[in-house]
Amino acid sequence: MSPKKKSLSTWFSEYAVVVIFLAITVAAIGPSKLSLNYIIQEVITRLGRNSFLVIALLLPIYAGMGINFAMTLGAMAGQIGLIFAVDWSVAGWQGLVFAFLVGLPISILLGWVSGSVMNRAKGREMVTGYILAFFINGIYQFFVLYLMGSVIPMRNPAIILSRGYGIRNTLNLESVRQSLDNILKVRLGPFSIPLVTFIVIALLCVFIVWFRKTKLGQDMRAVGQDMAVADAAGIPVEKTRIVAIIISTVLACAGQIIFLQNMGNLATYNAHDQTSFFAAAAILVGGASVTHAAIPNVFIGVVLLHAMFIVSPLAGQNLFGSAMIGEYFRQFIGYGVIAISLVLYAWKTRKAADNARSGLRGGVSANGSLGANNKTALDATGKASEGEDSEGKAKGGRA
Amino acid sequence: MKKTKKPMSARSLIARSILLVLYIAVMLIMVFSGRQHTILIDNKDAPDGSYTAIDGMEVQIDNLEALEYYPGDRDKAVVQGQRHKIKVNMFMEGREFEASFRIPFGQDMILLSVPKLAAGLEPYFEPFTVLESIASDAVEEAPSSFGADSPIGLEESPPAPELIQ
Repeated sequence: MSPKKKSLSTWFSEYAVVVIFLAITVAAIGPSKLSLNYIIQEVITRLGRNSFLVIALLLPIYAGMGINFAMTLGAMAGQIGLIFAVDWSVAGWQGLVFAFLVGLPISILLGWVSGSVMNRAKGREMVTGYILAFFINGIYQFFVLYLMGSVIPMRNPAIILSRGYGIRNTLNLESVRQSLDNILKVRLGPFSIPLVTFIVIALLCVFIVWFRKTKLGQDMRAVGQDMAVADAAGIPVEKTRIVAIIISTVLACAGQIIFLQNMGNLATYNAHDQTSFFAAAAILVGGASVTHAAIPNVFIGVVLLHAMFIVSPLAGQNLFGSAMIGEYFRQFIGYGVIAISLVLYAWKTRKAADNARSGLRGGVSANGSLGANNKTALDATGKASEGEDSEGKAKGGRA
Repeated sequence: MKKTKKPMSARSLIARSILLVLYIAVMLIMVFSGRQHTILIDNKDAPDGSYTAIDGMEVQIDNLEALEYYPGDRDKAVVQGQRHKIKVNMFMEGREFEASFRIPFGQDMILLSVPKLAAGLEPYFEPFTVLESIASDAVEEAPSSFGADSPIGLEESPPAPELIQ
């Protein structure tokens, strides 16, 4: 294989998801018959609404724990905060801060539980987090459906089910609706930009960049590269991993509050269900993988995923005469992109492990390169040489 | 050998205590400054005839939009926090006055009688209780599928698939 061909195929395997997604979205813009201004305005709104949640996924990826599907726990904490904000009639941006302060200790506790469980399931963090979210969802349902109004006194009868306890299926968040977005809206030509929301997101990005340079941030990256080496270097691996998950859960709590204030209503029992899936899809569409992610991946992913979400229902309606086709299509794409990313990741890890083994034998590797070149493969995964068996399961094959 | 936990240093204890106090303080500030109250602005005669409705006036609460009231009118203003200002401009008498009042923290809704306020009678507001339905069982489920937060997903839910029999 020529180097040029090889680099092209490597590039495509790196960015396959982004390329496929971009192609589908661009192809769907025409049939959707939506104006470019409308699409851009919608994308701006959705950037403000969703970016915070997606950024919450970065730290666990740095710590080598993959995509934190347990961020749903933080979303639940945020929702509990919002329920109390509505119950206590705390409105405006103060209501959002209040909801966050209520959700903060809950999300810290849930993050600690989640991190501790994941430490007992090293190498399988993603699927563990996913199942843990189901488990905690049961506790959340019990808390909101039975304890609120019976054990926990609720002062606003309008949010309680008619039987006298439990919260209604849908809460109107009118009192906090777009209270962050509306603090300062700037018009830029035909577009309305919620400046304060973007400032909050920018501050979070600055925090992430700063955090990466701190001792704890460096420790996280070291743990993400190789836990055994980090442990040998005196880094408290388990504690560092728990901290990564706690921060991610707390950010998810705040992210869910920002998301819901923009939406203006809360589906009490299922608003959090797909929070992690959506955020995971966005970051993967943005070109991240379960081992590598950066802030640009977040924004590229949110823009691409939402551009597709905006155009696909109407494209489906105009092409096939049914908006339902577009709805199915975007669900299919959403889940599909996660599947593709995970499959690509597993494939790359396995290939890197094969290359590493070939290199150790001094033979020719699977992709045709000489063994001496396999250092690249080792560096790319950072862990390929660490006792992976022939099934590629030991560390790489998460989820 | 089991590791023994180090006792918390005084500095760490102080830092944690400060954080806890700060947490509670911020929460209290948010609750007191963000607490929402509904003021029902009333322009009706007293049942005992001690005061009569004002024949045309403009009422403004804080910086909210000023509204016109005629005898028998009642409208509401939703405000945040406890301290508020009311500005009344009486058309017929050409009189304008301002007053400040404080809504009790636990009161969701008060009925403020402007004629009573104009007549200098106290108390010119009283608690008002009503069950306000802010949530509805009719809206059973918000869409929760991928990207269902789109305007199409929310405003025009896709048609239900036809049953094949």
